Amino acid sequence: MSARLRLLLLIIAIVAISFGVVRAQDVELNVVGFVVPLEEQGTPLDEAYQAFIGGFEEAHPGVSVNALETPPEFDTQLLVDLAAGTAPDIWNQDASTISRLVDNGYVLDMRECVALVPELNLDRFFPSVLSIHQREADGPIYGLPNDFTPMVIYYSTTAFERAGVEPPQAGWTWEEFVETAKLLTLDANGNNASSPDFDPANVVQWGFRVRKWAFEWIYRVWQNGGDVIAPDGSTASGYLDSPESIEAITWLRDLVTVHQVAPTPTTLDQMIQQLGFLDRFLQGDFAMFDRGHWELVGLRSNANFTEGSFGVVGQPQNAARSTVMYASGFVIRADIPEEKKLAACQFVEAATNLEYQNTKALTGIAISANQEAAAAAVETSADPAIEAAFNAEVEFGRAPYGSVYANWPTIEERLDAMMERILAGGEVEAEVAVAVEEINRELSR
Amino acid sequence: MTNATLAARPQALRSFWRRFWSRSNEKIGYLFILPSLIHIIVFLFIPLIFSFFLSFRDWTKPNFSDAPYVGLENYEFLMEDSRFWQAMSNSGYYTLLAVPLGMAISLGVAVVMNQKLRGVYFFRTLFFMPVVSSWVAVSIIWLTLLDPNVGIVNYILGGLGLPQINWLGDPRSAMPSIVLITIWKGLGFNMVIWLAGLQAIPQELYEAAAIDGANRWQKFWRVTLPLLAPTSFFLAVTGVIGSFQVFTPVYVLTKGGPLESTNTAVYHIYRRAFQEFDFGYAAAQSWILFAVIFIATIIQVVYVRRRREEIQF
Repeated sequence: MSARLRLLLLIIAIVAISFGVVRAQDVELNVVGFVVPLEEQGTPLDEAYQAFIGGFEEAHPGVSVNALETPPEFDTQLLVDLAAGTAPDIWNQDASTISRLVDNGYVLDMRECVALVPELNLDRFFPSVLSIHQREADGPIYGLPNDFTPMVIYYSTTAFERAGVEPPQAGWTWEEFVETAKLLTLDANGNNASSPDFDPANVVQWGFRVRKWAFEWIYRVWQNGGDVIAPDGSTASGYLDSPESIEAITWLRDLVTVHQVAPTPTTLDQMIQQLGFLDRFLQGDFAMFDRGHWELVGLRSNANFTEGSFGVVGQPQNAARSTVMYASGFVIRADIPEEKKLAACQFVEAATNLEYQNTKALTGIAISANQEAAAAAVETSADPAIEAAFNAEVEFGRAPYGSVYANWPTIEERLDAMMERILAGGEVEAEVAVAVEEINRELSR
Repeated sequence: MTNATLAARPQALRSFWRRFWSRSNEKIGYLFILPSLIHIIVFLFIPLIFSFFLSFRDWTKPNFSDAPYVGLENYEFLMEDSRFWQAMSNSGYYTLLAVPLGMAISLGVAVVMNQKLRGVYFFRTLFFMPVVSSWVAVSIIWLTLLDPNVGIVNYILGGLGLPQINWLGDPRSAMPSIVLITIWKGLGFNMVIWLAGLQAIPQELYEAAAIDGANRWQKFWRVTLPLLAPTSFFLAVTGVIGSFQVFTPVYVLTKGGPLESTNTAVYHIYRRAFQEFDFGYAAAQSWILFAVIFIATIIQVVYVRRRREEIQF
C-alpha cells in the first residue's frame, strides 16, 4: 500500500470517527434558567444546577446541554430572539408575562411532551398551578410549572410582642386586619392607633405597608368581590369602577389616610432609603406586609434575622378569600426542530420531577410546583409553619392576569399610576374613573 | 428618448467615475468618511425610515409580518392620549428650565474661564470632565448625593439650618433636580462653545468701546452679547433638541416618577415600546416628538433671522 493511499485511508478514518462522535452528540439543547449570576457562583444553588445538568447529560447520551445565562430584560430579549429564530430551546418563563408568547404561537403545547415521554405525569403538579399555564381546562398547556407562590402576609413577631398583640390566624377578616394593624401602630409615647392620644406625626412602629404596585393589591379587589377588568378582557367599565372595587380601593387607601396604620409613600420612601425595608421589618418598625415566598430568601439572609423573628399568615378575607399566585414554568419553543423535541421534553420532565425539585427546594425562593416536593419541603423546612401557611393559601390563589392578557403590562401600569395618585391624596372615584377611561382606550385598540 | 441618448448614458457614467477616481484627494476623502457613512446609513437612516413606516402599523407582535397596516390610527389615538401629552408637557417644562439656565450659567463660567487667571486651564478641564463621564455613572453618584436621609446635599442644607428636601421623591422638586444635574453635566460643553465665541470677538471692539467710555458691564452687554448671537443660536438649537430627548437621568434617577412628574417624552416612548411592546404606537409618538422639535427649531431659526434683519436695517 502506497504512502499516499495510507494517508488517504487515515484521513477517511479520522473523518468517519469525527462524524460518528458528532452524530453521538448531535442534539444540543440551549437552556436558560440554570445558570446563577456571577456573585452566586459556588453557592448550593449553583452546585444543584450543575449537578442536575451533569446528571441529565449522563442519563441521556448524545444530548448535551448548553446552559445560558439569563440576559437582562429577559422578556424583551426573548421576543427579539424568538422573532430572529435565535431563541433558546427551553427556558424558565414567568407566567405573568407568558400570554404574549402564547398569543404569538411561540410556545409548544406541552401535551406533545406528555405524549412523547411516558414518565411525564401531569398529576405531579398542583392542579391550580398547572391551570395557570392553560387558557381552558383540557386545552393546550403552555409550559409545565416549575415553582410558584401565593401572595401572603408576613408579620414581625418583634412588632407583635412589642404591641402585646397575638399573631393573626388564617381565615381572619378585613375588620380583624384593620383592628390588628391599629393595635400594632405605635407612636413614640407607646400609644397605638386606636388610642385617642395617638400621635400620627411620631409613629415609631407601623402596622402595615401599602404601595402603589397592582401586583401587591389586585387581590384586595378580588377579596371584596370586585375585579379590575372583565373576564374576557374587553373593558374595565363595570369592573374597576364597580362599588365592590371602589370599596376595596378606598379600604386600602384608608389604611394610610384614615386609620394611619401605614406610612404615606413619601414617608415610606424616606424610611427605606435610610435603612432597607427588610431590616426595618425584622427590627419591628413594620409589623406586616404583603409578599410572596421569594422574600424568605432575603429575610433569612438578613443580618437582623433570628429564628422565629417573623411569621406568615394567609390573606384576610371579606366577601371572599382570595390571593394571586405568581408562577414560573419550563417552556419549549414551538418551532423546536423535531430531532430536538424528544430531548427537550425529557429535560423538562427531569426538571419537574421529584428528584430535581427536591434538590432545588434548598433555594427557598418559591414553592415547588411538584406536589410531593412541596410536601417534602414543609417537613424539611427550617420553619414548617411558614411553609404550611403558604401551602394553605394555594386553594385560594388565582392566576395572574398577565398569564391571560398580552396587554396586561399596559393595564397594570395604569393601575399602578392610579394607586400612586390615590395614595398621594387623589379622590378615589375620580382617579378610578380616569384609570377606567385610560384602560378602556387601551383595550379598544 | 432617442437611442443616441440611451447609448450616451453609460458613456457619461463611465466618464464620471473616471473623473472621480482620477481626483486622488477626493477619493481618499470619500474613503475616510465611508465607515461613518455606512454607520449613519445602517444605524440612523434605515431605522429612521423604518420607524416612519412602522408608525402606520400595529406592531405589538415580534414578527413584522404580524404588523397590519392601520393607516393613521396610531396618530389618531395619540391625539387623545393624555399621558403622552403630559409627557410632552414634562419635556417642555424640562427644556424651558434646562436650556436658558444652562446657557446662562455656562456663559458666566466661560467669561471667567476666558480671563488670564492662574490655573485657568486646570479649571477648564475640571468643568469639562462631567461631559466625558458616563451619564449612568454620574446619575448614580447624584442619586447618592441627593438621598434625602444620608445624601451630602441635605447634610449641607441641614448644617446651614435649611429644611431637608426629598429631591427626587417629591413631585415638585424631582424635575428641577434632574435639570440641575443636566446643567452640571453639560456645563463644560456649553462653556467650550461659549469660549470659542468669546475668543473670536476682536479686541479692537473692546478698545473702541473703552475709548467711548464704556464700563465692563456695558462692554459685555453692548459688545460681547450681540457678537455671541451665532453661538447662542447654536447652543439654543442644540440645547432644545437635546432637552426634548432627555432619557438617561430619568431612567436611572426617577423612572418617570414620582406621580409621573419626570415622565418625559422619550422615557414614555421607551416604556411604550420596550416594556409594553407596542412598537407601532411608540414609533408614532417618536414622529410627533420629531415634529415638535422640528417646529421648535424652525421658530428659533425664524426668530434669529428676523432679529438679524432688524439689526441690519
